[in-house]
Amino acid sequence: MALKTTFTGLALGLSMIAGIAHADNIKIGFNVPLTGFAAADGKSALNGAELAVEQVNSAGGINGHNIELAVYDDQASPKEAVPIAQKLIEKDKVVAGISGSYSGATRASAGIYQEAKIPYVSAFAIHPDITRAGDYIFRTAFVGEVQGRAGAKLIGEMLGKKRVAIITLKNDFGKSLAAGFKEAASKFGIEIVSEYEYSIKDRQFGPIVSKVKSDKPDAIYASGYFFTAGPLVSQLRSAGVDVPIIGQEGYDSQKFIEIAGAASDGIIITTSLDRDSKSAETMAFISAYEKKAGQKTDMVAASAHTAVHVIAAALKNASGMDASALRAAIAATNLPASIGTISFNALGEVQKDVQVQVVKDGNWHHHSVISDADLLAPPNE
Amino acid sequence: MAYEITLMTTIAISILFALSLNFISGFCGQISLGHAAFLGTGAYTSALMTKASIPFLITLPVSALTAGILGFVIGLTSLRVRHDFLAITTMGAGFLFVGIIRQQDFFGGEIGISGIPATGLGRIGFMSLCLALAAAFALFSILIRGSWMGFVFSSIADNEDVTRILGINASAYKLIAFVIGTATAGVAGALYAHHFRFIGPDSFGFVESISVLAMVIVGGIGSVAGIVFSAALLSVMPLLFQFIDDYKLLLYSALLFAMMRFSPDGLAGLCVRTYRKLTGARA
Amino acid sequence: MLYLELLIQGIVQGSIYALIALGLTLVYGLLRILHVAHAALFTLGGYIGVIVTNQSGSLVFAMFVAAILVGLVGMAIYKLAYEPLLNQPPFIALIASIALFIASEELFRIGFGPYGISYASQPLTGHLELFAGFRLKYAEILVIGMSIIILSILAYLSVNTRIGVAWRASVTDPSMARAFGVNIQNVRYMNFFIGSALAAIAGVLVALLNNFVEPTMGSVASYKALAIIVLGGLGNIRGTLLASMLLGVIEAFGTIYIGHLIDRDALAFGFLIIVLMIRPQGLLGVK
Repeated sequence: MALKTTFTGLALGLSMIAGIAHADNIKIGFNVPLTGFAAADGKSALNGAELAVEQVNSAGGINGHNIELAVYDDQASPKEAVPIAQKLIEKDKVVAGISGSYSGATRASAGIYQEAKIPYVSAFAIHPDITRAGDYIFRTAFVGEVQGRAGAKLIGEMLGKKRVAIITLKNDFGKSLAAGFKEAASKFGIEIVSEYEYSIKDRQFGPIVSKVKSDKPDAIYASGYFFTAGPLVSQLRSAGVDVPIIGQEGYDSQKFIEIAGAASDGIIITTSLDRDSKSAETMAFISAYEKKAGQKTDMVAASAHTAVHVIAAALKNASGMDASALRAAIAATNLPASIGTISFNALGEVQKDVQVQVVKDGNWHHHSVISDADLLAPPNE
Repeated sequence: MAYEITLMTTIAISILFALSLNFISGFCGQISLGHAAFLGTGAYTSALMTKASIPFLITLPVSALTAGILGFVIGLTSLRVRHDFLAITTMGAGFLFVGIIRQQDFFGGEIGISGIPATGLGRIGFMSLCLALAAAFALFSILIRGSWMGFVFSSIADNEDVTRILGINASAYKLIAFVIGTATAGVAGALYAHHFRFIGPDSFGFVESISVLAMVIVGGIGSVAGIVFSAALLSVMPLLFQFIDDYKLLLYSALLFAMMRFSPDGLAGLCVRTYRKLTGARA
Repeated sequence: MLYLELLIQGIVQGSIYALIALGLTLVYGLLRILHVAHAALFTLGGYIGVIVTNQSGSLVFAMFVAAILVGLVGMAIYKLAYEPLLNQPPFIALIASIALFIASEELFRIGFGPYGISYASQPLTGHLELFAGFRLKYAEILVIGMSIIILSILAYLSVNTRIGVAWRASVTDPSMARAFGVNIQNVRYMNFFIGSALAAIAGVLVALLNNFVEPTMGSVASYKALAIIVLGGLGNIRGTLLASMLLGVIEAFGTIYIGHLIDRDALAFGFLIIVLMIRPQGLLGVK
């Protein structure tokens, strides 16, 4: 009996899914971590992407067709991502894919998309090899090295601090940031006095804080996500370390300010989203996101939002309905979006300005913009 | 078809990996919480070799060798500890493996290894190879279980001290089980690397070790048929459950718990009991 | 000076480890179960602590509520999950426990959201300046103080009360204890209650140190606490305390001086394996 009920339920569930899909909608694949350790970023990414879909459709869609996301949870794992990419391409027949996921999953699916010659856009995964999978792969986020170089300019030139301690998150994100920072450091007269690494699972930084304090740096360049950076910044400040702390887009969430509390005041980061932007796209995104998600926006949501708009715009501009025409249209993108004006280089890496934000009175605000094209040039091959 | 082929390949690799753990934990009773380290050893060995343009098929035996050597070393150290101490020691070995891989640029460090070349066998050819290897090892497992060696294994699993009193060199047999199991995991790792074509330290962590142990225990520890079935099922479960995205892992863990709570001898035990009930036979 | 600070940081971390691992070793001593889901109770304690503090404004009250509620949940876990599995091989309970742990991480995420929660206004943010430039945060003092007080009370009770003696007897020899009229079932319930309550207190304290509770807060504790109780000699309470402190201090110094060679987890497990090779029964375990 119980077994029978289960089967009926299962059949019902399956028929419901089949019912949702509309034949004449244009489908865009979206792999995103909705369960497991990366679920927080996954949720933001999905909200941002869904918002973009709503905006595109209410503005008339693509030549009369609505767009629609085919969403699968990849748990941020390459193992899950590969069959999902296959399924999106083969079963859902998506015209393009977006990764709202982390580097491992994105790198693994990029290979599948490239093989099938379907365009794929990485919203915020920063692994350097993602775009190297081939000419159908694009990225709307900065590679880590670019942002690391921007951080060096910010500290060495704009803030004029020369003795810097680096605290690096030990994963592909933190490591590539540190590499970029160190590469550009000497150019801006920065002397790296010490360097520490921590694991993404760490929340207590007592030993590193004690050591940094004894190093007496002029500034600290610390990579991390809001859930590591929040505790880190708060612990540095309460131990009496009061030099400037510079972070990156991983901090870029209201949640960071909530966790670090008063200690977040004056923290400066390099990121993609300018909260005080006067651009129509960004302002519309920030207010619409708050309304949709019931909370303040973050960089991840903005990046996923931008990725959807990039594909939607390319669908409108493409010369034909085939994948190669769409690829060409994406490659030729020149689109004002929520994270700035987007264009891609030959490798498919985004070219845009770096926004510098600072925490003031419990909110992110405009600090400055870095638009040094040479310094910010992403890798070309 | 590519999607179905990908699923079949994933299933075949999972079966091979789960059976390799079954050799150690199921036959010989040595519970390991760090088996993913050997999958990783094979994967890294093979990926680094094919990236250096060595043909894929040659890397298979080499992966088995490196994983087997590591297995021998861990097996030797594990001889000193038993039961729960052994479980935690193997778990520690798993963490050490990942910890070392993370720090070495040679292994790609945190960035991992991407752009692993195709095998040259084609999708279907590669799937057939994976299926054939899984089937061959399943057969080998069944043969061993019926042999003298299988008998010694199960007596070690039942009571190691008694086995020793009978004059059997239990340590040597444990080592043999360890080496065969880990070398096979190494082969599974080589297949894994060329199936997903991206590997990083997080692919071979504690979570992977736990999920393979879950496959073995849900199947019914020691039962080859049960494990083949459970490895197939559990490896594609996240994909089958995609329609309940948000509750997927919750459902997975609830099923796993229910299995342990109501049928601790796994699917194999469940089938046997159901069969007896249906035929009215008494045990 | 730096060494002293690192030592203090190690002791703070060690105290947290001790509070978590003690519950685990109590369970192991009595039931021979590796209770991975214990780490979920630590997280649950953190959530209850933050939520109740935010609602009531009192950290002390929140800690009290967390300890009682989580203690009861611990008893329920024993009754519903472990008791029926006592006659099975130990790895069955281990897998069941891991399943429970994954399920609870998912429940935290679904129930409290994936982003985690923080105190509305973080309590005890001040610090004591012992001498120039040497600070001890109130929260850190609380962590060390709570561990010392709680563990001393437990040590006293286990030696000087009837129930304490009954408990020790049940650990040493369950059948003998039963013959002497000890109600083993009650001892087990008490065991789970106390162990879980300690984990909850650790959860509230960690939430205080980090001002953050998230669904995966227990993931490190889930395996590291296992390493600690094995290091101490399974089921050995003094060994567990020693191992907790040692690991806290080793990690504090290791992070700074060999952190670029080997990460924190690998450091802990490397140490564990070395100890087990020399003493397979753990630091203070008996063969």
